[in-house]
Amino acid sequence: MPSGQSTAGDSDESAAPRSRGWLASPAQRERELEETGTEPDPRFTWANERTFLAWNRTALALIAAGLAAAQFLNLSPHGLRLIVAVPLIVLGGVLALASYVHWEDSERAIRLQRPLHYSWMPRVLTGGIVIIALCGGILAIIDRIVH
Amino acid sequence: MTPEHSRAGASGDTTRFDPGLARDRTALAWTRSALSMLAIGTLIARAAFEADLDALAVIAAVATLALALLTWRQGNALYRDRAVDGSQPHHQPGALGFLVSVTLLIAFVALVVTVLI
Repeated sequence: MPSGQSTAGDSDESAAPRSRGWLASPAQRERELEETGTEPDPRFTWANERTFLAWNRTALALIAAGLAAAQFLNLSPHGLRLIVAVPLIVLGGVLALASYVHWEDSERAIRLQRPLHYSWMPRVLTGGIVIIALCGGILAIIDRIVH
Repeated sequence: MTPEHSRAGASGDTTRFDPGLARDRTALAWTRSALSMLAIGTLIARAAFEADLDALAVIAAVATLALALLTWRQGNALYRDRAVDGSQPHHQPGALGFLVSVTLLIAFVALVVTVLI
């Protein structure tokens, strides 16, 4: 995300917080973000926040699906259900983290009146679900044939 | 969303600003997040009981209940303080980061419980 580096003229605050990177706590990062650029229309901030929350709920739903798969799948070597459960939970964790990065990136763009970046999250979510569904389907068929 | 509205928010001219239902939508989004948190709490507690981790189950249930309440309160905070006049968005620095940390913790606990069942 090189968005903070190339600000030069319009904001002196935007370059400094970038350099501290992931060492700064979320609260610290968000406080620094508030100093960046100009205060936007609150509705833009709220819309960005809702998008973040929607992604966060998606992540929670994936984790819940993983937990459900672990408990209710009845494959014969007991460990086989992990092939479905673990990727679901990991995908949830990855999307949770990515949604925060994307929220921060969008918030910075809104405050600096810059174009928003597309996120790779929809692609990863789609790809992940397709792959996990395929794995689950193949496992179910094999399980049916063997037993 | 008219340009007039955008300018009203940016320039601090609070009298003309009408957030419409955007604030309510955001508060409802926080409420849905709180409900998701409750749902996942019950799932983790159930899985932990199944893995004979009773202590973890109770802790997970109580913790997710508390976190769900916090999350719900975050939505209600939109109606308080300086957010009331709509001139400034509500800023609770760290709230979103905190939610992400909680989600990652939930993912980790879910992973541990899943492997141990």
